[in-house]
Amino acid sequence: MSATAAGMLFIASLVLAMVLVHRPFGDYMYRVHTSVRHNVAERVVYRLLGVRADVEQSWGVYARSLLAFSVLSILVVYGIQRLQDKLPLSLGRPPVTDHVAWNTAISFVTNTNWQAYSGESTMGHLTQMAALAVQNFVSAAVGMAVAIALVRGFARRRSGTLGNFWVDLVRSSVRILLPIAFVGALVLVAGGLIQNFSGVHEITTLTGGTQSITGGPVASQEAIKELGTNGGGFYNANSAHPFENATAWTNWLEIFLILVIPFALPRTFGRMVGQVRQGYAIVAVMGIIALASVLLTNAFELGGDATVPRAVGAAAEGKEVRFGVPDSATFAAATTLTSTGATGSAHDSYTPFGGLMTMFNMMLGEVAPGGVGSGLYGMLILAVITVFVAGLMVGRTPEYLGKKIGPREIKLASSYFLVTPALVLTGTAFAMGSAEQRASMLNGGAHGLSEVLYAFTSASNNNGSAFAGLTVNTPWYDVATGLCMVFGRFLPIILVLALAGSLAAQSPVPEGAGTLPTYRPQFVGMVIGVTIILVALTFLPALALGPIAEGLS
Amino acid sequence: MDAMPGWVRQHLAALRAVVVLTVLLGLIYPLVVTGIAQVLFHGRANGSMVEGGHGSALIGQLFTGADGRPVRKYFQSRPSAAGHGYDPTASGASNLGPEDVVDVLPVPGARDEKGNPDKGRQSLLTRVCARSKAIGELEGVSGARPYCTPDGVGAVLKVFPDRAVSVNQGCPAVPFVAVYQGVRVVCARPGADYAAGRTVPVRGGAGAPAVPADAVTASGSGLDPHISVAYADLQAPRVARERGLALDRVRALIDEHTTGRALGFMGEPAVNVLELNLALDRS
Amino acid sequence: MSSPATGRVGGGLLDPGQLVRSLPDALKKLNPATLWRNPVMLIVEVGAVFTTVLAVLDPSFFAWAIVVWLWLTVVFANLAEAVAEGRGKAQAATLRAAKRDTTARRLKSPTATAEEDVVPAPELRPGDYVIVEAGEVIPGDGDVVEGIASVDESAITGESAPVIRESGGDRSAVTGGTKVLSDRIIVRITQKPGESFIDRMIALVEGANRQKTPNEIALNILLAALTIIFLIATVTMQPLAIYSKLVNPGVPDSPALNADGVTGVVLVSLLVCLIPTTIGALLSAIGIAGMDRLVQRNVLAMSGRAVEAAGDVSTLLLDKTGTITLGNREAAAFVPVDGVAEQQLAEAAQLASLADATPEGRSIVVYAKQAYGLRERQPGELAHAEWVPFTAQTRMSGVNLDGRQVRKGAATAVMKWVRDAGGHPTDEVGHLVDGISASGGTPLVVAEQGRVLGVIHLKDVVKAGMRERFDEMRRMGIRTVMITGDNPLTAKAIADEAGVDDFLAEATPEDKLALIRKEQEGGRLVAMTGDGTNDAPALAQSDVGVAMNTGTSAAKEAGNMVDLDSNPTKLIEIVEIGKQLLITRGALTTFSIANDIAKYFAIIPAMFAAVYPGLDALNVMRLTSPQSAILSAVIFNAVVIVALIPLALRGVRYRPSSASKLLSRNLYLYGLGGIIVPFIGIKLIDLLVQFLPGIG
Repeated sequence: MSATAAGMLFIASLVLAMVLVHRPFGDYMYRVHTSVRHNVAERVVYRLLGVRADVEQSWGVYARSLLAFSVLSILVVYGIQRLQDKLPLSLGRPPVTDHVAWNTAISFVTNTNWQAYSGESTMGHLTQMAALAVQNFVSAAVGMAVAIALVRGFARRRSGTLGNFWVDLVRSSVRILLPIAFVGALVLVAGGLIQNFSGVHEITTLTGGTQSITGGPVASQEAIKELGTNGGGFYNANSAHPFENATAWTNWLEIFLILVIPFALPRTFGRMVGQVRQGYAIVAVMGIIALASVLLTNAFELGGDATVPRAVGAAAEGKEVRFGVPDSATFAAATTLTSTGATGSAHDSYTPFGGLMTMFNMMLGEVAPGGVGSGLYGMLILAVITVFVAGLMVGRTPEYLGKKIGPREIKLASSYFLVTPALVLTGTAFAMGSAEQRASMLNGGAHGLSEVLYAFTSASNNNGSAFAGLTVNTPWYDVATGLCMVFGRFLPIILVLALAGSLAAQSPVPEGAGTLPTYRPQFVGMVIGVTIILVALTFLPALALGPIAEGLS
Repeated sequence: MDAMPGWVRQHLAALRAVVVLTVLLGLIYPLVVTGIAQVLFHGRANGSMVEGGHGSALIGQLFTGADGRPVRKYFQSRPSAAGHGYDPTASGASNLGPEDVVDVLPVPGARDEKGNPDKGRQSLLTRVCARSKAIGELEGVSGARPYCTPDGVGAVLKVFPDRAVSVNQGCPAVPFVAVYQGVRVVCARPGADYAAGRTVPVRGGAGAPAVPADAVTASGSGLDPHISVAYADLQAPRVARERGLALDRVRALIDEHTTGRALGFMGEPAVNVLELNLALDRS
Repeated sequence: MSSPATGRVGGGLLDPGQLVRSLPDALKKLNPATLWRNPVMLIVEVGAVFTTVLAVLDPSFFAWAIVVWLWLTVVFANLAEAVAEGRGKAQAATLRAAKRDTTARRLKSPTATAEEDVVPAPELRPGDYVIVEAGEVIPGDGDVVEGIASVDESAITGESAPVIRESGGDRSAVTGGTKVLSDRIIVRITQKPGESFIDRMIALVEGANRQKTPNEIALNILLAALTIIFLIATVTMQPLAIYSKLVNPGVPDSPALNADGVTGVVLVSLLVCLIPTTIGALLSAIGIAGMDRLVQRNVLAMSGRAVEAAGDVSTLLLDKTGTITLGNREAAAFVPVDGVAEQQLAEAAQLASLADATPEGRSIVVYAKQAYGLRERQPGELAHAEWVPFTAQTRMSGVNLDGRQVRKGAATAVMKWVRDAGGHPTDEVGHLVDGISASGGTPLVVAEQGRVLGVIHLKDVVKAGMRERFDEMRRMGIRTVMITGDNPLTAKAIADEAGVDDFLAEATPEDKLALIRKEQEGGRLVAMTGDGTNDAPALAQSDVGVAMNTGTSAAKEAGNMVDLDSNPTKLIEIVEIGKQLLITRGALTTFSIANDIAKYFAIIPAMFAAVYPGLDALNVMRLTSPQSAILSAVIFNAVVIVALIPLALRGVRYRPSSASKLLSRNLYLYGLGGIIVPFIGIKLIDLLVQFLPGIG
């Protein structure tokens, strides 16, 4: 079988797997988030937390709880990093420097997992599992909670509340993420991922050289890193590292874990709003964009259209032999289409247009299918904007799922889709305007610009992957990307919750022949068009001077 | 509790939540996974170490001697960007871009601020060309590649109105081509600024290269334990010769240590270099 | 007024002269204090000022050409608004003529004999009484409290036939500025000074203190957000451009790009081309024109919000009489009992109805003539006849002629009369009566001397074309509910015949109000028409309440629209105008955004192909030079505004159909069209401007 054919089968098998789990898993998450009963473990947790699980929260209280939890998470993650030398399992490593610790704390709490550090030489085991991996769970749970709150906003009528943040957080963590991560971790160990607490041990190689191999609880972190669309690698090489991604089939499994929640949540959404076809429309938008992107990335990488790949004969630089070019490209597309940011190959060495795809995927706003929760709420915001324009074109005040899209809703939705482009472009402009910051670029010319653009795109969209040639563990980049991550995560969340509050308070307009049907292919096509055109229009000038200039040279 | 203002209660709940979830997800979860993994998959959970303790089957190694030259009786791994090569404490890729084609030539006699001699900067293209040439020589095949000069650097011109400079070929090297579109091609003077010229990589006449792609490129992790079957086949005659083994025997061992595509379509067939070399040592 | 049968809202054509006439107004609107209401165009103006300064400092033909076209862009946008307002002004002038300064004969008390003083009309306060006699102009809006008069309302309705206004009942409202033609009335003034109907109408059509509607506000927010994004995209491009120039030191400076980055003129051009200027320029014109289209149909909307709500209406309450059916029931058949000839029944029915002046009675006489050839006889013809006229108490009419006693009337009344005369109506009569009732008709029994001859079948006659109209409504997703005082059986029959979705029978004003509340409870928007004082609560409750101009002041105050023609069918047109208004906005927004794609393909290679020659591949239009590409894009951007003014004023074509079909059509037309048209337009402009000095 040719590499191309195998690569297509790889993609097809992932599509099939998504199709198979979409319904049962989406339904499961629906039951988790609509169940009125708390299981024993949860009741214990609520008592420990001192929260009344049955008290519903308004959007303001929900948002304040979420922010309080996130701020304290940042402090705790920062604290553990700074004190790691005094804690067990530090492997003798010194405290993480202040700006890196700050950047990393924000990075993991915001579900970005941008890494300004090298895992194997910076972090102790306790820091990895008790600070970073915990955030892999809860930051994903926060994203899911926000998405569920927004869906409740659509589903509820004349309600002042959106649910209880603590319940959504705990249930997402305990009933959804934990069991899958647990099983996933064990399967990954079976594939060769390590899971131990040993430190660094030195071995003598066959030819008499030495190698220092670092152990650690890798599989348990790897599973949730992918499942929670986090992406922060235990090792610097991330999912290219054989201990993080040992075989071609663990590669498949990791991509599956990356995609499974974001692609199943639309089903949960459809169930919660009582119209599964609305969920199918949303998942169709995500799926079509994602599939197109995966295929294009594969095509560009297999085509290898740039000087070095042409000299090499393939776009093999930065890719592992066991994965091959096409599966590496598929991983790259999956990790950037979701807000994961784990990397199975070096994006920086991709062909110009292959690299463009990874950037474009993130610029879509991480919606196809996006991060855990964040993908769904991001896509629903785009649907709201589409409904607004389309709704006007059918001669009615636009409404989505029976909720009117009026000035307040549009104000919140427009602000949402203003935030990330503003952060990406402003950050990039500041970096590119300073010779000192440009010095961080590894590559020159248009590709150097791409490195910086990629960094701010990744940070602002909470992806976390990088054109890793850029040296980012400098105070300036740590602060700048940290600000992008924190604003890129929490401003949209606040806007989404406010929107949810505003929608929940409305009483729905009944559907009729004059209502724009938001479940037909027509609407799916329109959301795709709006998404791609808005992104293209916003980022085309920057992309033209980066990857496009490089690719057309 | 109830006497406290709401926002204090909320922060208290938040703090408790961080603590409780840290214990559950940050301690209990990894400990339980470790416990089960150590029992069920002891070897794998501890890094798939090979017999004899010569490393992990999953972590590639350098098979070079103290002088940094390939040990000829061993199959060689791919180039690596991890530290000085296959350093697991510095995993990672070269991160060089696909159009990284122009070298910065070392200026003879110049030193950096630390007093080390100026080494210049090799472009990815030149690295590829140099590796190809070296491997070609090692294996006794042609190391020629498109966009490479015969002397193993990137065949790249900086074109000016009145001349062209073969920018990766430091003088007194002979430019790989004498005339480009009617203008004379000259060698590059180290330290000269050719930025104003138009960059033109020249493909040249090389056909399909004899040295496979993975042999001239660094992996993403820098720890790639595998090479392609093609690269193993290329090395087989040399190893057989060095060890006095029949080529068929070596080829059989390659087959034995080739992992095919999982389920027939996942990934690429790959040869585990360390295990292959260990098997050779054993046989 | 357009004919309702076409089901399409037409619009006035744009007179080119109007563009010229509106030019001074358009220039006046360049004042930033005026323009700040339109942030998109304000940014264009700021850009125009900025480039003017740049062009003065570093003059070139290219820079000045851009400057001129940027200014023209703003002027064109203002022109669109000015033209829309200009049409209103013409109407306002006509109205003002009606509002000549009149004097009023104010009465101390509401009797004709009361003391009166003469005051200028503007001094009248609500509650004042005035007396108006033939030939005088009514000094202000109010209700007739005494007398009856024919009034010429042509000044506001354009209808030359005089109308009757009388005290009490539903025709008591009079409008200031209209003229009493005969008789004398006493009017209680209901308006505050300066807020008369005509004042409001003038304000409306002139577009003065026009309030933005919710959808317009929402759209403005979206456009502002897009503008901010493009502003950021343009501004942040500069360091990237500087860097790109820096790393390609061999590239000479161009008019678009030098070491300081993209030149100011080009940067502003890019920004102006990207921000949604097309819809930004036309948005307020669309709103004004929407109101204007209503006014052209003699409908006054008290707020733009009401017009917009009309597009959203999902339930339409329609009065049966006058809207769905012709005014009155008509005789449709004579059904004799056994043993009586039809002809005999017809003759008796005709005789009994001669003294019945009600429309039903007249229709019996007419039907007898048409169907049975019975000559119509005048009551005076039959000298010995003793006429029994129809009264509400007896509920029958008839005649005693040469010993014959003939009666016709409501079944119960006539049967009683028969029994009183010693007759015994058979069961057959009861069956006939019930049968007609069941079919939705009204049975009138005809009897002679204690014997029932048969039954007259009276039927409501549904107006022609109503069923099609309602089918159309259904396709638009609008539910029609017929309101009638009839009993449920009758109501159902008519509802079925007319094709309405539902009906409310034996409706009282309270029922009507309850129905509206119920519909609104379910999230539906309700529109209705009404004229009587007892309609006022329902009119006030409904989202779109159209009061008939003939109605009472209370009704007119309660509704949010007034139909000067008092034509209840017009509600349907109002809904269509509301929809058309929203569609026009949506379509032009889509068009505006879709245009950006082509502009990028023009401007990005123009800016950067010098440093990265590969980017010339994006120059798919093969534009002559960077300067011509940028100038062509800017010119296209300006010209498209003017080109779309007629569309903005007329509104996009609207055919009632399902949302899905509408969307497809508009997407193809304005989405796909919006992508393709600028490619062609910019290329054509490029073919022309390349011949200008310093451009080609």
